[in-house]
Amino acid sequence: MSSPGSTVAVSKNGRRLLTGWFVFFLIFLYLPSVILLIFSFNSGTIPVFPLQSFTTKWYSEAWNDVELRDAFVRSIKVGIGTSVVATALGIITAYPLARRRFRGRNAMTAFALVPLVVPPVVVAVALLMLFRKGPHPIPLSLWTVLAGHVVISLPYCILLLVPRIASIDVRLEEAAQDLGASSFTTFRRVILPLITPAILSSFLIAFVVSIDEYAISSFLAANSVTYPVYLFGQIRQAEHLPPMIPVATVMLVVSFVLVMLAEIIRRRGDRRVGLAP
Amino acid sequence: MAATEVSEVVHAPPPSRRRRSRSLSTYLLLSPGVVVLLAFFVAPLYYVFLFSTGQRYQGVTKAAAFINGELTSFSWDRWSELLDSDVTVKALGASPSMPLWVLGLLAVALLAGALRGGRLPRYGRSVMVGSLVVLVVPFLTLPVGSSVARVVEITSENSSITLFFRSVSTSLTVSVVAVLMAFPVAYYLAFCRGKSKYTWLVIVIAPFLTSYLLRVLAFKVILTDDGLVNTALFDSGLRSDGNQVEWLLYTQFTVLLVLLYAWVPFVTLPIFVALENMDRRLLEAATDLGASRLRAFAKITLPIAAPGIVAAFLFVFIPTIGEFVTPQLVGGSKGYLFGSAIADDFGQNSDWQSGAVLALFLMGVVLVLTGATSRFLRATGGGT
Repeated sequence: MSSPGSTVAVSKNGRRLLTGWFVFFLIFLYLPSVILLIFSFNSGTIPVFPLQSFTTKWYSEAWNDVELRDAFVRSIKVGIGTSVVATALGIITAYPLARRRFRGRNAMTAFALVPLVVPPVVVAVALLMLFRKGPHPIPLSLWTVLAGHVVISLPYCILLLVPRIASIDVRLEEAAQDLGASSFTTFRRVILPLITPAILSSFLIAFVVSIDEYAISSFLAANSVTYPVYLFGQIRQAEHLPPMIPVATVMLVVSFVLVMLAEIIRRRGDRRVGLAP
Repeated sequence: MAATEVSEVVHAPPPSRRRRSRSLSTYLLLSPGVVVLLAFFVAPLYYVFLFSTGQRYQGVTKAAAFINGELTSFSWDRWSELLDSDVTVKALGASPSMPLWVLGLLAVALLAGALRGGRLPRYGRSVMVGSLVVLVVPFLTLPVGSSVARVVEITSENSSITLFFRSVSTSLTVSVVAVLMAFPVAYYLAFCRGKSKYTWLVIVIAPFLTSYLLRVLAFKVILTDDGLVNTALFDSGLRSDGNQVEWLLYTQFTVLLVLLYAWVPFVTLPIFVALENMDRRLLEAATDLGASRLRAFAKITLPIAAPGIVAAFLFVFIPTIGEFVTPQLVGGSKGYLFGSAIADDFGQNSDWQSGAVLALFLMGVVLVLTGATSRFLRATGGGT
């Protein structure tokens, strides 16, 4: 029982096995990305072994690909739009869900989270039907993509924000109101500063969801293809693969950094409201 | 909460007015979110319904739609086409046929048995385990070279339904394997790691939040005829040059592998949360009372982690059942799934009414499953 490394939950050997599995698991998760990184500097025209000489030409080729750059700019636009709108909607929806007791609160929560459990392809074709054949047909554009992205990222924002708002001590709000602050002032001066970290991570998550979204963009973007749609078209053909790999590498690194950033911010926020990390 | 209400009453002289203005502002705050969801989520789904019942059509005029074989007035024809089509279940040498809706009722009954069977006064446990086994095991897929082996093969004259069951079995297999792979990881993080466990958890989950397409692309590089796996086999002399393993790419195996790879990081989270919230003293008490580690695990840890496991399962099953991107990229014609059928109806086939039926059918299946198991999702904080 008291042998080193052994606890009530795991024996010493069990721990070794689990550690081994964990290492294997991490390799399984990260190996493909590492391989992409290696191939992004390989001079061969098709991504196969053996490796040829070191080159950065794919990076410059990708950089000079006008279509790719356009698609990328569109994705960033939609991503920023989505994160701003979804986070704003998320805050004003999450606040009553976390704080107020009202009839239909559970139903409202379920309603706001339902898009999470509807397969994206269904959301995509549904929006396509509404925009094309609805009472007021709307030409497909980045705006229609934005609408779809807001719907699917809103649940993530709400899931992030509700527990954070709920964890704020109610007495802080009561104190502010007793001292004469209006509801709005209380919200702006007490709640908002305390949930800033959650707002930032909700912003980042919505951005990550939007920038990686394929199903909705592919149905609703028409000619203004976003970056995943463009990428999808390219990686179906082997000869277009190499310039995509550096893009992939850069994107993987960037989104990894964003995710880590969101986590660090979130944890700092937890500490601020006095929760364990 | 009760204390809060009391203090509110004490501090606010006319309580009713304050309560009323608060409830007004509550609904005011909720309204923008509701409007957006109504406009871009409920209304679109209503249109899918209108299309699926022939109340809307693609043709510019009614005559044009009629010539194209579309329904031009309200009817359930498209639905009955789908639900009445015969399904053949090939299992253990027998191959009975039945309409799809009969099979659906059977599935719902089994689901009810698996979720509620435990409450029966007698044989509860056997009913529960039995229904679960009958519900899950037939669909498990074992990739064998370029084809796959299943306990039960479900086919239909309606190709969409054949694809639906292939999707179910793919998603189910991916979800089960993902849970089996992720459970030890979550267990390790929760019980063997000190403060660093949260950092490791983020490192495990991070790949999930990076671009999905790019991770698929990475697998394409690894699995092609001259990819990493085949080169390694050539170099180690296990395979002669030019005699590569052909089923690595563009088969159902590839789809299974890539989906598993894509979703397994995320599965760790709900299981970890369930294990992390467990009261460790329960295990100590069990060992003090003489239970072995294995027994303590089976009798305490596993039941407590069960909601997390179910949630993890659903977190994979729901998004993968409508999957159409992965099959297109790495599945080839053999990896075609139900999501691809829906996407095709709105793409090259341009048959929106059939596509609408398939989309609503898929959504219905997912919602029934989520509704039935929502208490598990709530238990891990994933839901509410």
